[in-house]
Amino acid sequence: MTDVTNGVAAVRRLRSDEHCAGGDPVRRRVVLGLLATLGLTLAEQSIPAARAADAPLVMGIFPRRQATLTTELYAPLAAYLTRELGREVRLVTAKDFDAFWDGVEQRRFDIVHYNQFHYVRSADKYRVIAHNEEFGTGTVAGALYVRKDSGINSIAQLRGRKIVFGGGTDAMMSYILPSYLLLQAGLQPADYETVFSKNPPNSLISLYHGQADASGAGDILIDLPVVRDAMDTSTVTHLGMTERVLHLPWAVRKDMPQALGARIQTLLVGLQAREDGRAILARAEMTGFGAARDADYDPHRRIIHKVMPAIDIPR
Amino acid sequence: MRLATKFILIVAGILSVTLALNAYFFLHSQNRILEQQLTERGRVLGHLIALISPEAILGLDFLTLNEYAREVSRQRDVVYGVIVDNDDRPLTSYVNGNDPLIRTSLGVDGPAPDHLPPPRLQTLIQQLAHLPDVIPTEFPILHDGRLLGRLRVGISREVLATQAREQLVQQFGIYAAIILFLSAAIYLVFKYSVMRPVQRLMEVSQDLGRGEFTLIPVTSGDELGRLGETFNAMTHAIQREQAKLHYQANYDALTAQPNRMLAVERLQQEIRSAHRQQQRFALMFIDLDDFKIVNDTMGHAVGDRLLAHVSTHIRARLRDEDTLARLGGDEFLVLLPRIGQASDARDVAGRLLEAVSEPVALDGREVVVHCSIGIALYPEDGETVEALMANADNAMYQAKKPGRTPVCFFTAEMNAQVRERLQLEQDLNKVLARGELQLAFQPIFRADDGAYVGAEALLRWRHPEQGFISPATFIPLAESTGQIVAIGEWVLREAGRQLRRWLDAGLAPGYVAVNLSRVQLREDLEQLIGAVLDDNALPPHALELEITENILLDDHQQINAVLGRLHAQGLRFSLDDFGTGYSSLSYLRRFSFDTLKIDRSFVAPLCEDAEAAALVRAIVAMAHSLSLKVIAEGVETRAQLGFLQGLGCDYLQGYLLSRPLDTDHFTAFLTRLACESAPWGDCPLALTDG
Repeated sequence: MTDVTNGVAAVRRLRSDEHCAGGDPVRRRVVLGLLATLGLTLAEQSIPAARAADAPLVMGIFPRRQATLTTELYAPLAAYLTRELGREVRLVTAKDFDAFWDGVEQRRFDIVHYNQFHYVRSADKYRVIAHNEEFGTGTVAGALYVRKDSGINSIAQLRGRKIVFGGGTDAMMSYILPSYLLLQAGLQPADYETVFSKNPPNSLISLYHGQADASGAGDILIDLPVVRDAMDTSTVTHLGMTERVLHLPWAVRKDMPQALGARIQTLLVGLQAREDGRAILARAEMTGFGAARDADYDPHRRIIHKVMPAIDIPR
Repeated sequence: MRLATKFILIVAGILSVTLALNAYFFLHSQNRILEQQLTERGRVLGHLIALISPEAILGLDFLTLNEYAREVSRQRDVVYGVIVDNDDRPLTSYVNGNDPLIRTSLGVDGPAPDHLPPPRLQTLIQQLAHLPDVIPTEFPILHDGRLLGRLRVGISREVLATQAREQLVQQFGIYAAIILFLSAAIYLVFKYSVMRPVQRLMEVSQDLGRGEFTLIPVTSGDELGRLGETFNAMTHAIQREQAKLHYQANYDALTAQPNRMLAVERLQQEIRSAHRQQQRFALMFIDLDDFKIVNDTMGHAVGDRLLAHVSTHIRARLRDEDTLARLGGDEFLVLLPRIGQASDARDVAGRLLEAVSEPVALDGREVVVHCSIGIALYPEDGETVEALMANADNAMYQAKKPGRTPVCFFTAEMNAQVRERLQLEQDLNKVLARGELQLAFQPIFRADDGAYVGAEALLRWRHPEQGFISPATFIPLAESTGQIVAIGEWVLREAGRQLRRWLDAGLAPGYVAVNLSRVQLREDLEQLIGAVLDDNALPPHALELEITENILLDDHQQINAVLGRLHAQGLRFSLDDFGTGYSSLSYLRRFSFDTLKIDRSFVAPLCEDAEAAALVRAIVAMAHSLSLKVIAEGVETRAQLGFLQGLGCDYLQGYLLSRPLDTDHFTAFLTRLACESAPWGDCPLALTDG
């Protein structure tokens, strides 16, 4: 992980700030909203004076893509935030999910972008402020794919078959949601062979190359250019889909001042309305940001709990 | 085809083949190296990809695998790079759609898709791997000893082939230029260094063939230079040999004077010259008299030296323009161009007689020889070589005759004599067949009591046209033509047959003396005489063989052997015409003669010439001292008869006693002799007359 020592102190400061803002959720939300409004107002007035002295904000992006690609995709966004916040936003990523997760656990990131499972598990440290909108939608669903010539028409036929999932067990769309779908169809993990591909696109490509009988992935995966470039997507089809849940979250440290968090949220959500913002979104292969709050991820918590009953889900 | 053309074609051919082989091996090895480089590059790439692929395969990271495939496929000279699993199913989908081989295999004109479904990609790889322009390689992808799959890489030879083609064209161009340049250079060098000297050699050879001795200018020390030197040496040698041959062919080695051939050539030239200039010239034939005696008595070496001296003497008496040639033996030819009168030739001949007669000191002895000269004049005595030479020879032959002057000009009569002689030779060829020869017998009597003892057989030729021809005329002719052998055999056989007839008739013919020619003294003489004696049942002493002194001048060793064997068989020998030749007492001692016959030329003057009488007396005394009987020939008077009896001569023969008688008369003589047994003193003349 890209280490940002200057940001650590700031994160610690923010964390202490977050703790001070505890209490009833509704009240806290109102307070937070007020504080945010106030903060933003104050911030707008006070930031120019404080900008020079503030430590950079660390924006951690989970490694669903290669680090270089991640940097290329999100550097414009970081620059945008830096410019708008008047404070450096330093983009970091990690070589793998373990490293990234360690960063999350250690709250090294001020702003973090990861998957829904990550957020659910780190909700005690971060609070969601926004979610991705890709291909014009802010929700996703888990899906099971099969080859059209496989003769498999129902999820029940996957019993005893090899199913490839993308990434690993913490992949929300590529593992948890498809597994949830399998559970709904009555198939326990022991009823099928589980294999993991390097990442979600590869799970579908693995299916295409005959390395498995089914692929578990997000429903939009089949439309991703990277997938369409690597395979003939017409040869596979959806076998089943889960309910739609909110897309990948963007969160800030819980101890980040509300005003700053709100400001960041505003800046993200407002990108779609800006000319340069759309370019930034396009560069990040997104169509927009939607505002999100923690409760929006309760369905995710439910599903995760169903699939992984043993896992501890903090609030 | 010219040598230069042939040479340059061979050189160009050798160069072409050599350079073609060189180009082939060069290109072949270069292709091999390039192919190895290609394969090596593919191998390095393949191994690298195979090394990093397990992580992606195990992680089902097909995107990464595709990236690998893309990287491999985009490499230069790589047609495809595909990762397959253990079941040979492609794990990647990328193909380089811009590759012409792939476009061709997929059957598309424009760019092909960059991704293909696994089955189609599998088929495509199989197709491509079988293309001749593709080198298919594969690299196992292993992880922890376990085979995860293979990387299949197809490397194109197209660039290689293009490079090879370009190299071939370039190489061909360079080699063609080299061949042209070398061929032209070699041709020029060959032309100026080889062909020009060879051409010159050919020209000089042609000159040599025409008899022109041209030398080659030698300008180099190489093989051609040495060939030129050798050729020049050969030319010199040929020149020398030709001069030597010319000399040998035209000059007499003994006298260093022209020989017959050159003499004839000069005579032809002189005839042409004299004809053009209306001049006269003289041709002389010179023959040494009795030169054989010198050879026989002093040896051939001395004879040769004498000839050389004589030649020198003659040459010294001639003008420079005169020609002296030795025709052979002791015969010389002298050609005297541009003489005015015949007397000029006579004067020259006189000087030549003197020159020949000059004494020559040989082996401490002074030798004098004489010669006979026959002269023919151009154009009076002939206008051709043959005529002039024949006529000069005739004239010389006439000059040789006893009693003639030693210098004789040719006359028309001589030709008549020659023709007559030739006719006689022809007639002599037929004399035996025609039976024209006869034998006459002249009795021989004992001197003291006149008793008949035998007879000498004398040959007679009765020519159908010319009548009686003397033996003195035709015997030398027969000896010169060799016919004397057959005639001599006939005489012996006829004498033997006649003796047998007489004996059978109860007569007493005594012995019959038969003259032998020197030509008859051969190995087969014994056989002939043996046959005559056997055929007629005659005792050996019935025949007496008469030989002349001249016969003994020949090879006396062989003759003595023959005569010795005949004498041992009982035959008797008499030495005829004793005193007329080169009488040598050593002959008498060496050969086994029984009788010595005194020639009539000694008997004739016996009564008038005291010296002759003394000579005959000495001969008789000498013969008797050697135990030889003596027969006096040519007794024609009673005074001679009495004188010879007084000398103690043993036998007498001559007209006084009896002329030669033909067979019939001799038979009658013998018959009468048998009846009367009268001594000759009473009736000799009566006998011969009868």
